[in-house]
Amino acid sequence: MAVKRALVMHPKDNVATTVEEIQPGDQVKVSGGGEVRSVAAVEAIPFGFKIALEEIPRGATIRKYGETIGKAGRPINRGALVHIHNLDGTRARGDLEGREKQ
Amino acid sequence: MSFLGYPRPDGSVGTRNYVLVIPQGLIAKSIGDFVAGVRTIQTVDHGSGRTANDRECIARVLIGLGRNPNVASVIVHAASPGVGYPELKTERLADEIAAGGKRVEVIDPARDGGVYGAIAKGIRLARMMVYEASKLRRVEVGNEHFCLGVKCGYSDTTSGIAGNPAVGYLFDKIVGAGGTCFFGETTEIIGAEHVLAKRAANPQAAKAILDAVAHREALAKSTGLDIRTINPVPANIKGGLSSLEEKSLGAIHKAGTSTIQGVLQYGERPKGKGLYFVDCWMGSLSIFAGYAAAGSNLVMFQLGGGGLAGRDLMEGCPSIVAPFLWCTANPNTFKMAQDNIDFYSGTVITDGEDPQEAGERLYRTVIDIASGTLSRSETLLHTDPIDLSLEEPRF
Repeated sequence: MAVKRALVMHPKDNVATTVEEIQPGDQVKVSGGGEVRSVAAVEAIPFGFKIALEEIPRGATIRKYGETIGKAGRPINRGALVHIHNLDGTRARGDLEGREKQ
Repeated sequence: MSFLGYPRPDGSVGTRNYVLVIPQGLIAKSIGDFVAGVRTIQTVDHGSGRTANDRECIARVLIGLGRNPNVASVIVHAASPGVGYPELKTERLADEIAAGGKRVEVIDPARDGGVYGAIAKGIRLARMMVYEASKLRRVEVGNEHFCLGVKCGYSDTTSGIAGNPAVGYLFDKIVGAGGTCFFGETTEIIGAEHVLAKRAANPQAAKAILDAVAHREALAKSTGLDIRTINPVPANIKGGLSSLEEKSLGAIHKAGTSTIQGVLQYGERPKGKGLYFVDCWMGSLSIFAGYAAAGSNLVMFQLGGGGLAGRDLMEGCPSIVAPFLWCTANPNTFKMAQDNIDFYSGTVITDGEDPQEAGERLYRTVIDIASGTLSRSETLLHTDPIDLSLEEPRF
């Protein structure tokens, strides 16, 4: 089983950025933001994409750089790819305007 | 802490030494086709059907480019007398550029024997002006004379991790030396504005940052669209960025950690030195023309490029008058487009290089290019028209 690398930008983050191509089952060594952790990838994650460092329930805040980058649109498993299919941006969402007003 | 540059009468210092032609008609380009060392502003927007605010913005950019420290002298091509908008009158443009102390000449088809006559006069003038400019010599000047502008584009996750932090280090170093730096792209600080507002020099500057974002976000919402169908752009998403907030939080790293003195309009010259946010659109040529109009003597494009398959030639734009540097931290982009890239910091990701060391390498690259080494894009003649950042509807 290959050991791959990912970078976490801030100790409060629940995602890390992969700096290698990750295959399902790879152990991903996560460094930066304090301690070095290891997470098993549950699916393929391309270079420069994000891996979940913990279980993230639907609606929970997703943090990178110690700040909010969106909310989980569906439950996200530890070791899963985090991208537009399961992360919803919350800013400048004209499509949600009407719904918010109702 | 110095570079070799061309001192100008207004106290600014150029990194280049051009004669600039400001057109009110496309024939002005003919002068640059004949005379070496000439730059011609090429924009498709000449104010027709534009509001007074937008016409003033066009005038601000034309005057600002004329006053740019990289310009030794200027030829203004007159609009037909009596038909121009007041903001764009030839005399106004010429007078406000000349106020900076440099030589300004006007060519005017109505007075100079028609279009053919005006071209002939322009070619004669330009040859003389280029010759005069060539007598100037670079001198060693302090880094307080730097005026840098940066945008990040085709961003991917390498931008926030390794590309922008190197630029941020450079910005801190130049601001620390008393120089001036610009960053902008209002849409691309949405979600990060609270971080920037905390770094403002005073409450007015903080409010201006928050107001610029509120205005831009309200415009975005008024479209009724999910912003992710517009920005992050498809290349960002292909490169691993998942939301506008994520893009913004990575983007602000290019501005370093210095105090933000204030918010400038597109093309507006700052009153003092230091770090400024420019309230503008992201378009590559548009934003760099605005920075150069505000006084930038060197501009940088921090490229992600993870979503750019097959792009091995990057654009340049001589008419911006500021040398244009391409930087990337994406190893794949660097491999694909190596002969376009002036600076590479993917080593932060692949070899564990300290971002500060990368920033120090970038600093040395910038000093070198400011002092006369060509940026890669300056080896291209290809140019695209500048798309000015105008905000109001056309009629």
